Amino acid sequence: MSEPAGSPRLTVGLAQIDCRLGDLDANLERHLAWIERAKAQGVDLLVFPELSLTGYRLLHLTTRVALTPGSPVLERLAEAARPMTVVAGFVEESDRGVLHNSAVLLSGGAARHIHRKLYLPSYGIFQENRFFRPGQRIDLATLPWGRTGVLICEDLWHPELARRLAVAGARLLIVPSAGPGRIGGGDVPASHESWEMLCRTTALLDTCWVVYCNRVGWEEGSFYSGGSLVVRPGGELEARAPFLEEHLLVTEIDLRDADRVRWRLPLLADERTDILGPSA
Amino acid sequence: MTVLQNDRRVLDRLSLNTPLAVAALTSFIRDAVETSGTSGVVVGLSGGIDSSLAAALAVRALGPERVHGFLLPYRTSSGESVSDALLIAEHLGLPHRKIDISPMVDAYFAIETDADAGRRGNKMARERMTILFDQAKKLGALVLGTSNKTEILLGYSTVFGDNASSLNPLGDLYKHQVWQLARHLGLPEQVVAKRPSADLFPGQTDEGDFGFDYATADEVLWLLFDEGLTPDEVIERGYDEAVVRRIVQFERQFRFKRRLMLIARLSGSAVNLDQEIPRD
Repeated sequence: MSEPAGSPRLTVGLAQIDCRLGDLDANLERHLAWIERAKAQGVDLLVFPELSLTGYRLLHLTTRVALTPGSPVLERLAEAARPMTVVAGFVEESDRGVLHNSAVLLSGGAARHIHRKLYLPSYGIFQENRFFRPGQRIDLATLPWGRTGVLICEDLWHPELARRLAVAGARLLIVPSAGPGRIGGGDVPASHESWEMLCRTTALLDTCWVVYCNRVGWEEGSFYSGGSLVVRPGGELEARAPFLEEHLLVTEIDLRDADRVRWRLPLLADERTDILGPSA
Repeated sequence: MTVLQNDRRVLDRLSLNTPLAVAALTSFIRDAVETSGTSGVVVGLSGGIDSSLAAALAVRALGPERVHGFLLPYRTSSGESVSDALLIAEHLGLPHRKIDISPMVDAYFAIETDADAGRRGNKMARERMTILFDQAKKLGALVLGTSNKTEILLGYSTVFGDNASSLNPLGDLYKHQVWQLARHLGLPEQVVAKRPSADLFPGQTDEGDFGFDYATADEVLWLLFDEGLTPDEVIERGYDEAVVRRIVQFERQFRFKRRLMLIARLSGSAVNLDQEIPRD
């Protein structure tokens, strides 16, 4: 895959929104409004949270809000997104009638890349395995600014995925999430402490930009804590959105920063796949 | 064996970041009112810490004019309950009204003369519930619940009485956390400091009914249900065996109160198990 010719510098917007559960029309309207807001702030790449078009805790509503990749809802969103690139979350009905928790990357008026969530949490309050089937592959997406990868929420907790994308050339990881919040005695929501550690560790070890867009709002008495993040290659925190409230976090990033860090810290170049020993 | 009552190590881990917890709980109330399209909440004010905290959170979320306080004394209710409820209503500046439930309750027990204190107490709790839901209908509002996690786990409530509500901001707060938030919000010390009582008969206290104190209950429940210890492991940490066994037995005996619709499933599309339709 050749590197794209465009500038490696772009303005990222993280749309830390609340969603109406099971209400596609209301959520589409909200996306269109935030797209206009982001355009007004010069955003090039706008990221919405996981399942942003439907809400997260759908349970038996899942089938009622499923969309095929060619659906009018996504066409309308893709058209409205121009000239930006937009990542949005939706329930994808595949051509085999299988439902996936997916994120679509829309650019130039069309869907350029779809990532199907690979790890469906089904423990604690999570029930994704009841309603979705996991995806089977990861791919890079080539944006005008460079190669990127999309991982949805729980996917980031299985670090080999981010590693593979980074080794394959991703300099930016886009992580739409719907992470349920928890509050304890700490300075930030207890749920966020883990996420910030995870995003920073990923950016450190995979020497790439990590943009994590978490949602806010309540569903069935459970909240999402926000605190969306932009983390620099090497793990330094570049920007953090506030907790518990909607926010558009706008940050300029330079994908060449990943290369500059990699020259100093060549973890990816040194990565070995030939080491013998126990396997999973 | 030494009994470690008020074990600071446990209570410290229960302590909340109070500004964050208040921000989350007020957003919960605001979200529930907005998504339901209602005008505000009604709350029964008993003069106790739980209803006072629930009302204070609602006032923070909605402003005092959208929080309607109801004092619902029975003729044997303590004068202190009524005067403390009034103190809270005035402290929070919310519209409030007193409705004496004695005529309704006494009319029933005039034909059920053999009722014991338990039945009479349940009837009072349910009488208050019907009034709150009727007033909610009249005002276009939701009924604000005031049951905390400690009493929910111990089953210390009247089914369809004080445990009935449209939304409950306190249901995941142990009593220690209720006290902590009440102090943080500056509620009058005479309400915060007094011994909790359902006030269903003169001289009643919660801790007298339990046979153990709230600090012990919170610690034991937290170790059992948040940390996942077995009862024997809790006892090994120095808690009184009889108290731990009693807490375990209460939880088991009264857990039915937490699942209020037991529907016999015949169809394969039962409205609970097969149609888990979440509310936003």
